[in-house]
Amino acid sequence: MAGAVGENLERVDGYGKVTGKAAYTGDLNIPGMIHGKVLRSPHAHARVSKIDGSKAEQIPGVMAVLTRENCQVATPYIGAMIKDQCLVAFDKVRYAGDIVAAVAATDENIAENALDAIEVEYEELPAITTVEEALADNAPLIHETVRRARPPQYGRGASYILHEKSNICHHFRYERGDVGAGFKAADFVFEDTFYFPSAHHYPMESNVSVADFNKDGVTIWASTQGPFGLRQEVARVFGLPLSDIRVIVPYVGGGYGGAKGLVPSIIGVALSRLARRPVRVNFSAEENFKTICQPRAKITMKSGIKKDGTFIARRCQLFLNAGAYVNSTPSVAEKAGYRGHGPYRLPHVLTDSYAVYTNTVPTGSFRGFGGPQVAFSYESHVDMIAQRMKLDPVDLRRKNLLTKGEDFAAGDTPTDCDLKGALAKVAEAIGWGAEDTPAKPGVKRGKGLACALKDGGGTKKASHANVKILNDGSLVVFSGSVEIGQGVQTVMRQIVAEEFAVPGDQVRVDEIDTRYTPFDTATNASSATALMGSAVFNAAVDAREQLLQSAASRLGAPRSEVKFENGSVLCREQRLGLSDAMRLCFGDSGGEIIGRGFFQLPTDLNVPLGSPTPFWEIGFGAAEVEVDESTGAVKVTKYVSLTDAGKVINPIQCRGQDEGAAIFGLGQALFEDMVYENGRLMNPNLVDYRLPRFRDLPPEFKTIILEEGGGRGPYGVKGMGEGGILAVAPAICNAVCNATGVRIMEVPIKTEKLLQALQERS
Amino acid sequence: MSEELVPIRFYVNGEQHETQVKAHDLMIDFLRERLGLTGTKRSCDMEVCGTCTVLLDGKAVSSCSLFAFELDGKNLTTIEGLEGPDGLHPLQKAFIRCGGFQCGFCTPGMILLAKSLLMENPDPTREQVCEYMDANICRCTGYQMIVESILHAAKEMQAANR
Repeated sequence: MAGAVGENLERVDGYGKVTGKAAYTGDLNIPGMIHGKVLRSPHAHARVSKIDGSKAEQIPGVMAVLTRENCQVATPYIGAMIKDQCLVAFDKVRYAGDIVAAVAATDENIAENALDAIEVEYEELPAITTVEEALADNAPLIHETVRRARPPQYGRGASYILHEKSNICHHFRYERGDVGAGFKAADFVFEDTFYFPSAHHYPMESNVSVADFNKDGVTIWASTQGPFGLRQEVARVFGLPLSDIRVIVPYVGGGYGGAKGLVPSIIGVALSRLARRPVRVNFSAEENFKTICQPRAKITMKSGIKKDGTFIARRCQLFLNAGAYVNSTPSVAEKAGYRGHGPYRLPHVLTDSYAVYTNTVPTGSFRGFGGPQVAFSYESHVDMIAQRMKLDPVDLRRKNLLTKGEDFAAGDTPTDCDLKGALAKVAEAIGWGAEDTPAKPGVKRGKGLACALKDGGGTKKASHANVKILNDGSLVVFSGSVEIGQGVQTVMRQIVAEEFAVPGDQVRVDEIDTRYTPFDTATNASSATALMGSAVFNAAVDAREQLLQSAASRLGAPRSEVKFENGSVLCREQRLGLSDAMRLCFGDSGGEIIGRGFFQLPTDLNVPLGSPTPFWEIGFGAAEVEVDESTGAVKVTKYVSLTDAGKVINPIQCRGQDEGAAIFGLGQALFEDMVYENGRLMNPNLVDYRLPRFRDLPPEFKTIILEEGGGRGPYGVKGMGEGGILAVAPAICNAVCNATGVRIMEVPIKTEKLLQALQERS
Repeated sequence: MSEELVPIRFYVNGEQHETQVKAHDLMIDFLRERLGLTGTKRSCDMEVCGTCTVLLDGKAVSSCSLFAFELDGKNLTTIEGLEGPDGLHPLQKAFIRCGGFQCGFCTPGMILLAKSLLMENPDPTREQVCEYMDANICRCTGYQMIVESILHAAKEMQAANR
């Protein structure tokens, strides 16, 4: 059954998920398990002057109360890039919702009630919510000392600038050419400033984990995209060897980059150690909102352009509101900055990208990893340039888009697909250049498009995988890529089925358990299919080669006379199926083959980010909108999304990833925003925070997935699943401007603001 | 909180149960913790997202916002009750075939709401599906493939009834 790759093989997780039998972390009932709850700060910024958990400890059913007073750890600080977050407050609380203490009890209600019995005294400090406040002279420092990791190892053109005694926790600069000379040589210079919201990931399943600390070590069942990173943090905080920590990952109810599992696991391990019982920590939806979000952005784009529309210089300034704790946000700042000039040829670039502490909900990675913020800015900016220069926005883009094989940045992977062709496809699909069909009276209709790309697959990520051939010829894949809904289990099954030419159901994809599963950096950055896919492919090839060598030796033939063809081992006239070949090598009951695979791109300081991007993930989109001039309401009537998968492994899953990403983008363009008043998050629930729903689905919604074969993964595969989010907000805002003449500089589009602008215009 | 016990008698997925619940026990907790029916998932906890949808006497309701004692005298269907002796329900098959789920967390509620839709309207249009299903949220799929799954199941079910 060669040809598993490219087929809609039924999903590995299908049966379990449609019957309710698939087990998620919150469904587990570990013997002896009790329940953990956390106490959160009501203040946005305060010194914790006193904390006393002794009354809570007296409550029947309470098994542990965790405060700074009894938190005996190697280090209380956690964080992906900067160790800035204490598992419970040691000196200060830095946002309303910060964790002050935790309780484990036999019942959730008892735990909840015990939180009220913990006595805390706060000395309130001045709090800051915005980047402007955080950068003002004499702004209070949110972190007096910043526990930085080693400075990032950047290459050509990129640098890290340290700011002492500042709320700036990361400053990334990227420079090439001479931006000043570029602006001098330009005929026109335009500058625009854009604002992008802070969205919450809202995975339908909240942060949840079960931790069991006992004399044999620590076992954690967690809903996480990064089991190995989680293991590392637990080891560091509790001073344990990695080998003593076991992270098991049941099904995960949505990820989208939200660093799920880390905070509840660390709290859970600490509680379990005190209680000597397994502890489940399952955050509520409101707590999830207060755990992590996407960094809000203010972005200024300044461009120098020749009379004929050729771009020559770009100055970008990005300010990301990093919240109280920053997780991966320094890396988001770096990536957003690196991508600041978009998919265009620009000889002179200077970008400064800042991540800035404020007293708001912690931030971190989010689908697109800074891409949505910069794509909204540069693609709105390009349309504004076209309008000012009276050029067609498609022509202006076509003129400046990188061609296939051209450098995005010298040293990095060259552009790996045909961007101009992609633009032509979305323009055609939306009917660019054709008259808009008339809308109802009082409703304006218009079209807009956007072209974006991101370096996909992460930087310097390592993926290991094993593929076992069992004695009966069945196969097992051990891969650390987490099934977060993207269909990665099915993809790995398809790759192995393809390489052994066996039916998909002969390949089992094993559950992730860090005790047995080989290391993987994390399931993020659209990396699994391309990077882990390469490791699994390599492991399959290695296993196949071991089998052929063993068979050759058993048959007394030279290796060169044995080959693998259509699922069989072939030696001269003899043809052995996989199980027969295994039995030839190992006898009827014993033996197995373990193939090993690895993938990682090398460090290369000729590349700005220190290692080449595995692939370029593109997100092109075109929208048709209707704007009701009497209400300011925007309806997306048609949306076309385009990406390049390199090679499609599973068509339905690819389409699902791209459509899901596009509707994520729709939410950010139209509704989603974390709103603060006086330092407090005002909408941490689904009544007040509006997610996209069925009624928002554009009546016409089309996904185009190219297969240009330019990826480094097996069969030329690239990654996807984030690209679809990038172009949505700018395409919609460009369409709104095309329909009404009103330019949106800030998303989500606020109906009342748009209505006001429509009235002022007329 | 009141510890008063309320006797209840009801059917779950065709099986009769008789037990006692605390007056303040929520239906979702009772199903998940007492009956072990963990296919019913919790998300927003305020009747907005539909993840915890179950069918009470055939009507789609949010089990996060009902008390366990409200089961008394009722017939409840959860996701565990959909697979019959002849295999998966046509909606379950269609969700697999048409890409109607990804992470799968909203899927039990989504399938049960779709079942309720098809009981009321066996041959819905795309618009009618979107209008009815608007009660439930999915964060992964972007909805279109759920709509296609439901339309596909409707066709299969009609063909089977012909």
